[in-house]
Amino acid sequence: MKLFVRCAAFCLPLVLVAVLAGCSKKKEVAEPAPPPPPTTAEPAPAPAPPPTNTEPAEQPSKTVQDQLADVFYDYDSAELGSSAQSTLDADGKVLNDNASVSVTIEGHCDERGTVEYNLALGDRRAAAAKDYLVRFGIASSRISTVSYGEERPFASGADESAYAQNRRAHFVAR
Amino acid sequence: MFPVSLALCALLLLGSRAEAPAQDEVRIDLSTDVQKRIGLVLEAFASAGGSSARTTAVQADPILANDLAGSGLFTVSKAWENTGSLPADAQAVVGGKITVSGQTLVLTGEIKDFPARRLIARTDYRGSMGDLRRLVHRFADDVALHLTGEAGVSQTRIAYVVKGARSSELHVVDVDGFGARQLTAFKSPLVSPAWSESGRDLYFASLRGAAWNIYAVPSAGGTARQASRGGTLNIAPAVGPDGAVAYVSNKDGNSEIYVANADGSGGRRLTVNRSIDTSPAWSPSGQRIAFTSDRGGSAQVYVMDRDGGNQRRLISGFSYSDSPQWSPKGDKICFVVRTGGKFDVYVANADGTNARSLQTEGSSENPHWSPDGRLIVFSSNRTGTKNLFITDLRGTIVRRIDVPGAAANPAWSPRPAGATLSGVNATTTNPGGSKR
Repeated sequence: MKLFVRCAAFCLPLVLVAVLAGCSKKKEVAEPAPPPPPTTAEPAPAPAPPPTNTEPAEQPSKTVQDQLADVFYDYDSAELGSSAQSTLDADGKVLNDNASVSVTIEGHCDERGTVEYNLALGDRRAAAAKDYLVRFGIASSRISTVSYGEERPFASGADESAYAQNRRAHFVAR
Repeated sequence: MFPVSLALCALLLLGSRAEAPAQDEVRIDLSTDVQKRIGLVLEAFASAGGSSARTTAVQADPILANDLAGSGLFTVSKAWENTGSLPADAQAVVGGKITVSGQTLVLTGEIKDFPARRLIARTDYRGSMGDLRRLVHRFADDVALHLTGEAGVSQTRIAYVVKGARSSELHVVDVDGFGARQLTAFKSPLVSPAWSESGRDLYFASLRGAAWNIYAVPSAGGTARQASRGGTLNIAPAVGPDGAVAYVSNKDGNSEIYVANADGSGGRRLTVNRSIDTSPAWSPSGQRIAFTSDRGGSAQVYVMDRDGGNQRRLISGFSYSDSPQWSPKGDKICFVVRTGGKFDVYVANADGTNARSLQTEGSSENPHWSPDGRLIVFSSNRTGTKNLFITDLRGTIVRRIDVPGAAANPAWSPRPAGATLSGVNATTTNPGGSKR
């Protein structure tokens, strides 16, 4: 954990992401994960978003859609880990700064549930993200949710890296 | 009705095999779920009425052979392919005659015992020239009726979803894989087809617009109507014997199970908790509903009374069980179990005991009973793409339904409502004197 803190303190955000991604490999994953960095003895609460979604939200040239980062979940879970909460804090700030924008939060799942269970799980994921943002202070009326279950995966493939990509709440600015 | 003809045919079969050492092979035991296959000799149809009748007879032969083999009830030996000796374990001979007169087509189906070849039943099935497949399916179902005591399912259909990258559509196909047709053009995600009790309508759920809603479309084709309101997640319709529709909705906050009238009115909530509740399935009596819930920490199959009372775990011993379906007689449940990231098809007694795996190759989902309870259709990715397979209760694949595209979410239709609906008239001659 000390290494983790030092890293977070001294390195660029991208490195933090890489470490978090390493930390987040789930115990239940059957297929061999890439060799983890030394810090992985302590599992992180949630998988990290891919690097493409981790740009700082403050860049003024970006659209609101570009600034809203997706939230990622553990397998068969809608709980918001510390990484997901940080992402949602940033998303909440973006929404605060852009009061005219409403969002739809799409809940997505990997393919390892049944179709109907995954639709309910995606619904729960989207609802968890919405609840967090409402507690953050965003008006409930600005946020709608819809579940896609496993119907529109972001990544094809049947390995953990694809699955982790597909377990997400995806933000669509309106 | 059938007990008479069954008793008779059983007697005939036993009598005809009096000297055979393996007497138990011809005894038809209705008490077990896995019947021994009955050996059939299939003879080519004769024809009367010129070249049109001859052509039709040649078309009829493989349709009947496919029906009888696909029923899972018979081992079929085609007499027109076997020029040598007939199989020693055959117990009945099936064949007949095709008669064409103008536009009228008559299939005369004959069932005889073997090797004595005494007549068990002779039936005339009448229709027009376009009815050949239906007449053959009807005869095939009657062969099963006469030889096992219960009609087959050759006249039924399978509804399924063809999955695309961005959208999916509802399709329906005859159980022998012919006559596939698309019923929707929603251009949206679509799941959960479910037949109405009569087979007239197909319910399903689609994300058309901003919310998942339940729709119903005539199974013969037509305009879909929306059958749910409120919330953003309305899925998993299941039609009970009285037409009531159990379904899942998040209109009160999270996924819960409701029961409504067929038109969507009078919705009543059955589950109340913060967990996922989904995939309701009616018992054939309509008194109980099996469903999936993760209230205990992982997805598991539960059961409750139709008013929501007496909710309890039904399937135990697996880390993840889901997609329950009650057998038509109410004595069994089929469901899926997740093992190592894939799904296997299981069958258990209706009280959850004696769970055993039926299909473990590839990942298999959405098992659904045939209306006679002797077969289960499911989707599997075992060939690399999702397709539909039919297994018997031994776990033997009796059919693979090849349809274009990735086919998933199968739902087996009820039997058609009888001769008047299908336009098929039949008259039966039975040496025992029983009339149907």
